[in-house]
This record gives sequence, structure tokens and C-alpha cells, in this order.
Amino acid sequence: MIIEYLISALGLGALYALLTIGVALLFGVLGLMNFAYGEIILAAAFALYFFREQPWFFAVIMAVVFAVVVAVLSERLAFHPLRGADPVTLMIASFAVSLALQSVARMTVLPRAQGVPPESFLSQRVDLLGARVSVLDLLTFVLCGTVLAAVAYVMGRTSLGVQLRAAAENFQMAEALGVKGNRVIASAFVIAGVLAGIGAVVFVARQGAVSAEMGLQPMLVGVIGAVLGGMSSLRGAALGGFILGVGTATLEALLPSSLIAFRDAFLFTALIAVLVVRPQGLLSGSKVRVS
Amino acid sequence: MTTQVLVRLRTPLLLCAIAGVVAVAGLAGGPTVERVAVLALISIVFVTGLSTFSANSGIMSFGHVAFMALGAYTAAFLTIPVPLKGTLFSQLPEPMSFLRELQSSFVVAVVVGGLVAAVLGLITAPGIARLSGLQSGIATLAVLMVTYNVLSSWTSVTRGSSSMIGIPQATTLWSGLGFAVAAIIVAWAYQSSRSGLQLRASREDYWASVASGVSVGRHRATAWVLSAFLCGAAGALYASFITSFNVSVFFLSTTFSFIVMVVLGGYLSLSGAVLGAVGVSLLQEVLRRFQDGQFTGGSALPAGVADLMLAALLLVVLIKFPLGLMGSGELGQRGRQQQTDEVEPQPEGASA
Repeated sequence: MIIEYLISALGLGALYALLTIGVALLFGVLGLMNFAYGEIILAAAFALYFFREQPWFFAVIMAVVFAVVVAVLSERLAFHPLRGADPVTLMIASFAVSLALQSVARMTVLPRAQGVPPESFLSQRVDLLGARVSVLDLLTFVLCGTVLAAVAYVMGRTSLGVQLRAAAENFQMAEALGVKGNRVIASAFVIAGVLAGIGAVVFVARQGAVSAEMGLQPMLVGVIGAVLGGMSSLRGAALGGFILGVGTATLEALLPSSLIAFRDAFLFTALIAVLVVRPQGLLSGSKVRVS
Repeated sequence: MTTQVLVRLRTPLLLCAIAGVVAVAGLAGGPTVERVAVLALISIVFVTGLSTFSANSGIMSFGHVAFMALGAYTAAFLTIPVPLKGTLFSQLPEPMSFLRELQSSFVVAVVVGGLVAAVLGLITAPGIARLSGLQSGIATLAVLMVTYNVLSSWTSVTRGSSSMIGIPQATTLWSGLGFAVAAIIVAWAYQSSRSGLQLRASREDYWASVASGVSVGRHRATAWVLSAFLCGAAGALYASFITSFNVSVFFLSTTFSFIVMVVLGGYLSLSGAVLGAVGVSLLQEVLRRFQDGQFTGGSALPAGVADLMLAALLLVVLIKFPLGLMGSGELGQRGRQQQTDEVEPQPEGASA
């Protein structure tokens, strides 16, 4: 029982950390609180639906490709012309992008929710240290953990990661020192797209369906996690997302069933409280770089 | 002196005249046009409420639809006939069972709807007063999320995801016009008041206004509560016009269309908000007809075309004219537009 809870809480934590990093990365590099992030996930989920007859591995790769394409396209068409606008304008713009992508999905391929039968191996359970753990929970944990480690490696050890962090720290200064702004921003969107794609794979496997509205929840997770962790560092954001995931799993386990429906109300009230009391986030230092 | 007063009064008079034109147009057209006109008048009430906060403080709010929802639910509780309420709310928890016996007139329902929304405004005001820029955007959105979650999950009181039905239709062209005019006057009066002017000063330059002794938080809170009241009244008007509604109305897509209105008109200006409300209401109707195929020879386009075009329009406006049609100027006031057009409002702490 304890081990099952731990695996599912850690899995949800890792998934939420993944989603949060995607939001926080774009916010750090170009001040964009991306409400269209959910629709990037939608694009990946659609790929999973479209290629559901193909081998699972192929569908996963296509999901990542779809997500990256949509992320880069949204940058080209909407956010590139708005470079340097204030964060609220960018947020409104991302609202518009989100609605536009949702409408496109509804117009063309997803007028209503479609089921994606989960792969049979995902619904099995295996014995682990004497507990019956579902493969899906294990996969969530392993996949998200691996991707998080990969992101940590890219951000910490590669030249691209150093440039991304420099751009997040001070974009103009980084450009003045020879960091190519356009390339860095494009690669930030590519990374966000990859993260969204992987996130969508896990998300669809858990939900078993795709619909035009499905992006809302993962997007909100990313935003709340990023605010909780403080948006000044990716590590803080990842930790914020992780805590949010573990907290959600714990709330679900502990909350009396009559109050579970109000889980989101609790979460968002906590979010407002954090914004008011510690605008720099629960986990970051004293520096506020949000507004 | 008198000419100065007259010049300053030009804006509310012009705006009321615009509302009047909308009402007359609704009167002249058929029932469909009338419906569009009434909804446009209700939108005017809502956006004047929204711009009371966002135009004066320079802070965009994504959460005002929560106030509208509260107003609508209040109106439903106050005006649904008592016998029907008995069956609709058979599971009301004991402390709230008095709601089943309540009955009031339409005007009282609108005012009380506004007051209930203002109470939520009062509760959230201490938090909102401290925030600005992006944090404020996220916090206001969180207010909407909490409200929506409670309304859709508190099934015994709000009927959850089932619709509210049986609200007597009371909002007409004339009552809509009356409330729109009243809302414009209230918003204008606040904007010209001492508190409104000080809040606008903080919008132009936060630190300079603080240094001159403006208590920014208090004025933000005042504007927030007043705008909550107006948006709550708009919600009550909406409920009394549409007669049945579902909680899903009061969520992101409605928020989005109001944002389109204020951004298109210019979110720093009351006139911009009113013009945006009228323009976008008209545009949405045209787009709806376009989607239904009235301009393409009867072949309906897939649902979502109208939303897509609205979103695309908003993006173009944000890129080309970030301050919208009016900038921070007002109708009938010369010379102020050029002054502020070029200067983007500086979010608080941007220089820090």
C-alpha cells in the first residue's frame, strides 16, 4: 500500500515537474507565460490518437514531432512579432493562440472526445517489493525521471544549456555577449515541445482519451507549479512542480470523498496565497523577477 | 469653468449615446437583431465594470467573469418562482434553505447580484491590491478557477453541471439600456474621482505616485470592489435575459471574448471598452452567421471557425496596435491621446 502510494505520488510528481519545466523555460527565456502550452500537448495527444494503430514506439516519436512542430510554429507566427512586449500582452497573446489552436482542433479532427485505448502492457501490474504496482505508474516515473535527468544534463553541461540559462538570466546581456537570440528562443520552444510531447504520452495513457479541451489541465499544472517554485530558476520550478504532484496525490489519498471535487479550489486558493505572501515563489531566493 | 465641465462631460454623454444607438438599432431590427443588441448592452455593463479596474490601474484582469457568475446565480436564486425553486433545489443544506423562499423584483435582483459579487471582490481585494503585472494576471485567473470549481462542484446549492432554468425574462432593450447608462456614469464618476485619478497616476508611474503619497493598494482595492459590483450586475442582467444558463458559460471562452473587447478598444480607456463591446458583439454575430453559412451560400462551416477568426484578429491587434483603438484617450477629449500613445505603461517594478 505504502509502496503503491509512493510510486504513484513520485510518478505524478515527476510528470508535473516535467510540465512545469516546459512552462518555466519559456517564461525564463522570453517572459512568456504560455497558456498555449496545453495545446502543444493537445497536438502530441492528437498524434497518439492518429497513429494508435501503429507500434507504440512510433506513435510516441510522432507525438514529440507534432508537439515540436506546433511549438515552433506558434513561436514563428505569434510570439516572434511580439518579442519585447510586456508579459501581460504576451499572456493575452498566448490566450489567443490557445483558443486558435483549440478551434482548429475542433474544426478539423476532434469535434468530440476520442478514445485512445491504452497499450495492453501498460494496464498490467507487476510485483515490486511485495506490492502490486501498475506498469503505467512505473512508466510514468521512469520516463519522466529520465527526461528530467536529460534536461538537467542539457541545461547544465552543454553549450546550448549555458546559452539558455544566460538568456533567462539577462536576455540583452546574453545577446551582447554573442548568444544568438533567435536560435536560443527557437531551441527553448523545441525543448518545451519535446517536454510537452513526452508529457502528453503519459497523460493520454492515464486518461485513455483525447479531446480539444484536454490541454487545460496540464497547462494549469505547469503554471501553478512554476509559480509555486518561483520562476527564476528551472530547478526551483521543477521542484515546485514535483511538490505540486506529490501534494495532489496526497490530497487525493487523504481528502474525504465529499471534498475531492473541490481539490482545484484548494489548489488555486493556495496559489493566490503564495502569490500574495511570497511572490518570488516558495523555493527561490529573495530576488523577484516576475513582473 | 462651465465649459470645462461641459468638455469633461462629453465622454459619458457620447458613450451613453452609443448605448442608445445600440438600443435603437435593436428596436428597428427583427428579433435576432434585438437579441444581439441586448447582449451588447449587457456586455457594455460588463466591460465598463472590467475597465473600472483595468483601465484605471493598468492591470489586466482575467477573473472578472467570476463576478459575473456570482451575479447570475444570485439573480437565479432571487427571481426563479418559489414553486419551481422547491423542485430545483430540493437538496439545499439546512442553513441555506431560506433561499428557497426568497423572491424579489428584477431591479432588486440586479443590485443584490452586484452586491454579492462585490463581497467576493472585498474578500479578494487585499490580495489583489498587493499584486501587479503578470502575478496579478495569474491571481485573477486563479479567482476565476476557484469560483468555477466551487460553482460546478457544489451540486446541492448550484445544481453543479446541470443548468439553471426558469429565470423569468426581465432584461429588455430598455432596462438593458438603463443599466448600461448607469454603469457608464458610475465608471466615469469613479474615473474622475480623487481615488480614480490617483489610481491612474499609479498606472502612469508607480514609484512616482507612491513617492507623492498615493496609497496605491487602497485605490486598487476600491476600484476592484466597484468593478466587481458592476460585473456582478452584468451577470444578473445576463441571467434575466437568457433565462437558463449553465456553469460552463462562466469560464475561459467568455473571459476570452471580453478580453478581445477591451483589448480591441484599448484596455486603458473606458471609451475603448465600450466601443470594443459594441464592435465585438457585432463582429461575433457576423462571424456566427458566417460560420452558419449565410455568406457562403448555405454551406455551414465547421464549428470553431468564428473562434479562430476572433483569436487571429486579437493577435493581429496585439502585434500592430497593442494599445487598441483608443490608446489611453477618451472619446470627446482632445489632445490626450497623442501624449500617452507613444508611452507603453510601465509595469510596476519593471525598472527594478
